[in-house]
Amino acid sequence: METIVALATPAGNSGVAVIRISGDNAKSILQKIIREDLDFEPRKMYLKNVYTSNLVDKCLVVYFASPNSFTGEDVAEIQSHGGYFLAQQIIKECISLGCNMATAGEFSKRAFINGKMSIDQAEGIMDLINAESDAQAKVGSTLMQGKLKEKIQQYQNNLTDMLAEIEAKLDYPEYEYTSDESSDIKEKLKDLISSLDGLISDSQNGLIIKNGVKVAIVGAPNVGKSSLLNALTKSNKAIVTDIAGTTRDIVEAEYEYKGIIFRLFDTAGIHDSDDIVEKIGIDRALSTLENVDIVLRVSTPDTTCNVETDKPYINVFNKSDLLTSKSNQDYFFISAINNENIDALKEEIFNQTVKEGIQSDKLYLTNTRHIDCVKFASSALKNILDIFDSTTMDIVSSELKSAWSILGEISGITSDEAIIDKIFSKFCLGK
Amino acid sequence: MITENMINNYDAIVIGSGHAGSEACLALSRLGKKTLLTTLNLDSIAFLACNPSIGGTAKGQLAGEVDALGGEMGVNADKAILQLRMLNSGKGPAVQSLRAQVDKVTYHTEMKRTIEKQENLDILQCEVSEILVENNKVIGVKTSMGEIFSCSAVVVATGVYLNSKIIIGDFTKNTGPNGYEPSTMLTKSLMDLGIEIRRFKTGTPARVDGKSIDYTKFEEQPGDDLNESFSHLKKSVKNKRVCYLGYTSTEMHDCIRENIDRAPLYSGKINGIGPRYCPSIEDKIMRFSDKERHQLFLEPESADTDEVYVQGISSSMPSDVQRKMYRLIPGFENVKIMRFAYAIEYDCINATELKNNLESKKIDGLFFAGQINGTSGYEEAAAQGIMAGINAERYIDHLPPFILGRDQAYIGVLIDDLTTKDIIEPYRMMTSRAEYRLILRQDNCDIRLTQLGRDIGLVDDKRYKIFKKKLKTIKEIHLVLDTMKNPSSLTPLFTAKNESLPKSGLTLRECIKRNNITIFDIKEYFNLFDGVTDSLLEYVNTEIKYEGYIKKEFEQIEKAKKTENIPLPNIDYSEMAGLRLEARQKLNKFKPATLGQAKRIDGVSPSDINVLLVYLKMKGFI
Repeated sequence: METIVALATPAGNSGVAVIRISGDNAKSILQKIIREDLDFEPRKMYLKNVYTSNLVDKCLVVYFASPNSFTGEDVAEIQSHGGYFLAQQIIKECISLGCNMATAGEFSKRAFINGKMSIDQAEGIMDLINAESDAQAKVGSTLMQGKLKEKIQQYQNNLTDMLAEIEAKLDYPEYEYTSDESSDIKEKLKDLISSLDGLISDSQNGLIIKNGVKVAIVGAPNVGKSSLLNALTKSNKAIVTDIAGTTRDIVEAEYEYKGIIFRLFDTAGIHDSDDIVEKIGIDRALSTLENVDIVLRVSTPDTTCNVETDKPYINVFNKSDLLTSKSNQDYFFISAINNENIDALKEEIFNQTVKEGIQSDKLYLTNTRHIDCVKFASSALKNILDIFDSTTMDIVSSELKSAWSILGEISGITSDEAIIDKIFSKFCLGK
Repeated sequence: MITENMINNYDAIVIGSGHAGSEACLALSRLGKKTLLTTLNLDSIAFLACNPSIGGTAKGQLAGEVDALGGEMGVNADKAILQLRMLNSGKGPAVQSLRAQVDKVTYHTEMKRTIEKQENLDILQCEVSEILVENNKVIGVKTSMGEIFSCSAVVVATGVYLNSKIIIGDFTKNTGPNGYEPSTMLTKSLMDLGIEIRRFKTGTPARVDGKSIDYTKFEEQPGDDLNESFSHLKKSVKNKRVCYLGYTSTEMHDCIRENIDRAPLYSGKINGIGPRYCPSIEDKIMRFSDKERHQLFLEPESADTDEVYVQGISSSMPSDVQRKMYRLIPGFENVKIMRFAYAIEYDCINATELKNNLESKKIDGLFFAGQINGTSGYEEAAAQGIMAGINAERYIDHLPPFILGRDQAYIGVLIDDLTTKDIIEPYRMMTSRAEYRLILRQDNCDIRLTQLGRDIGLVDDKRYKIFKKKLKTIKEIHLVLDTMKNPSSLTPLFTAKNESLPKSGLTLRECIKRNNITIFDIKEYFNLFDGVTDSLLEYVNTEIKYEGYIKKEFEQIEKAKKTENIPLPNIDYSEMAGLRLEARQKLNKFKPATLGQAKRIDGVSPSDINVLLVYLKMKGFI
């Protein structure tokens, strides 16, 4: 396999960065970059100078011989000092020594191909790699442990029971079925649909955990939107001036609250403007509104927010330190500059977006492929319920089977021998 | 090797004259091959060794498909029918199947006569003891009397006769069904050729004297009043006999429990693997102990005998227990057993050693069909027989194999399952094994297959003419159904059928799409389709009513085809990293020809298939 390189730790500021090299030439590239013909003992750390065209850094390097590595191939890892620039230099050097830049998820893909992980583990790891917060990591790891597989398998078993009953009756029409061998398929279907729909609605939380909650801050110019962003993130990311229209493009920043990442989008103040640059900013602000989970509509004693949205929103009343009475139920009163009520606002945003809270032991679908499969299964089952009384059992069975097999694409169980086995363990059939 | 002892040259030799062998030798000779049929006993040609019936769920479709390809089973069954029923008639078109009680004497004599009359076909009573092979290619067979026949292809269709042993309690005897001789030498020849032999078991109930049955304690089961037949060559058959439904009793269950230590299955006397599909009564009672009674059906064996087949009560209990327990069935108080129930053990092969044309992967020109491949059932056997016959002819004539897909026929499902799945018990066809059963219906066997049968040369002019005429009639029916009707002309029909009145005109086809309206209502209200058979109208009705679902299945077929037919090169899977160990072993064992087959191997998971896909892409195979 061609040798690939990429940063294995998240991009951005960190104490240490790990650069991973995987493929047939991993060892020789490591030798070249430390400029030493060393016969590495696998899985042993060496402290070595790593040379790039511009600088030399003292790094920890380690070599894993195939197949005992993350990808199952020969792997070399370089632990450099943190920082974006240094890591990029090392990666560049590796590329000039013959590596290819790894595409997103390529290490996991190779690990998967080489039997180091199953497909849902691979998907779980991808989520884990992208995980930035605690809750995200928890969701990722539950998936890795195969809990999802177990749960989906359980739903498949429920379907297998129903199918076995129907199929037995179709394949052995003359057999006399006792009352405890005949169940209320419709009731069973309703139960299963509600379980699947539960998974789907929980998956919104799963997606929120994975992608974070997107929060837009909107309002007229100079109502203190940027101050609010700085207060929420405890930073000075947005430039704050008294001059209306300072923020011309969208400023992004994020904060973590109760394990969830909240991504803030501070928008240009929305008003009629002749300034071309500001106008573009306003257009962007409006389109940002389409893609967020919640909108903070910021008003002040002087200016009422006139931005309308069909998303969930909170009417935030800033500069409330200038008010004497704060009794209006429609508003959430804060003072960004004095940091008043900011934590309460965080709590309010959390409550409005993360509906039932995140339970770390609960199962969340975070992979869109999985969510699509469950949605398909649920709608197939709903269709059966709709037509149950007006159609024939062969159709019911074929719809049940399609729900069963689509769930199999998550659980990995697709051999329908299971249904036939069930028929003969449950019913006393045959001549 | 083949010199002075050589008696005759044949193109092909079929060993065994049961349901597989009969179809195989007829297909070969009808396709112009000089064929020899060998049988241990001429009186056992097409012998119905177990129940006197043909068809049933999924099996009716198999018989219909054999017929549509130009086979004999349906034609022969029609000549011998005592009663005909359509099973599952209320449960949807996909699972409706014909089942016939047949006269087992007539069934045998008629098939024997057909085979005797067939051109290019010789019959000889003898025991084949050895298959002669040179350079991994079949060159002939040798009989136990030392005669040698040369041929290019052999179809082995020995049924349950290889080293067969019947078991009745402590009594065992090395014999085939009905006291017919077993074949004792061929197993060794197969093993010498490197073919894996396994041992399966099945069983049959007692035959009792009909005069000793008190029928008043049974419920009569008449045939259905149908305008149907198995074969497309015949229009309809008459019901001549009834069957009866009865039940076991708790006294009978107690009797079996008390004597269970004398049942060979429980005393360890039987080693073969039996089918779950035909459990013995002792098995039923032990495994489903809380069931208070079991059903049984009385089926006439023949119009020429009083013998009655007791479906549901197969057993291998000792004769004295059988006498006692059968008499504990209500209505059987004075029953006289004429033939005891028995279990039978026999040698069969592992069909995953076959290619999907039913030819051995190891020996060219060596084909296998029927129960020797691990199946159970006459229809399963006949289906393999006709396919082995066709493919042996195509092997001899250097033509590409004739393979039916899982989306084309139950025959395709059957052979694909047999050659890719590790079958550990006798295999019975079931509708639930077919993923496209809305398409694989009883009523469209000929539409699906007769043109293919014609193309390979097995469908004769008579059958083809009937088929063509049917297609023409269907076309005409559809033309009529395109007729637009204005709302006022539809009012009487729609009102009578409780359907909401249409605002604008509808075609007759659109009317049939309504829940409460069928093609038969259209026929009645508009006085149409004079002279068209009901079964043909029913067929068109189904195609229209289920159009959406049928279309969906075709879409699934198209989707599956994308990966289904990706050929797999000859790879050593044990070296393929990424596959789970079980998948590596299974893939190396079965060596699937396509990715679709690999997918269906038990123990090969979707992620293994993804690994294979990635591998094929990486290596440039796709």
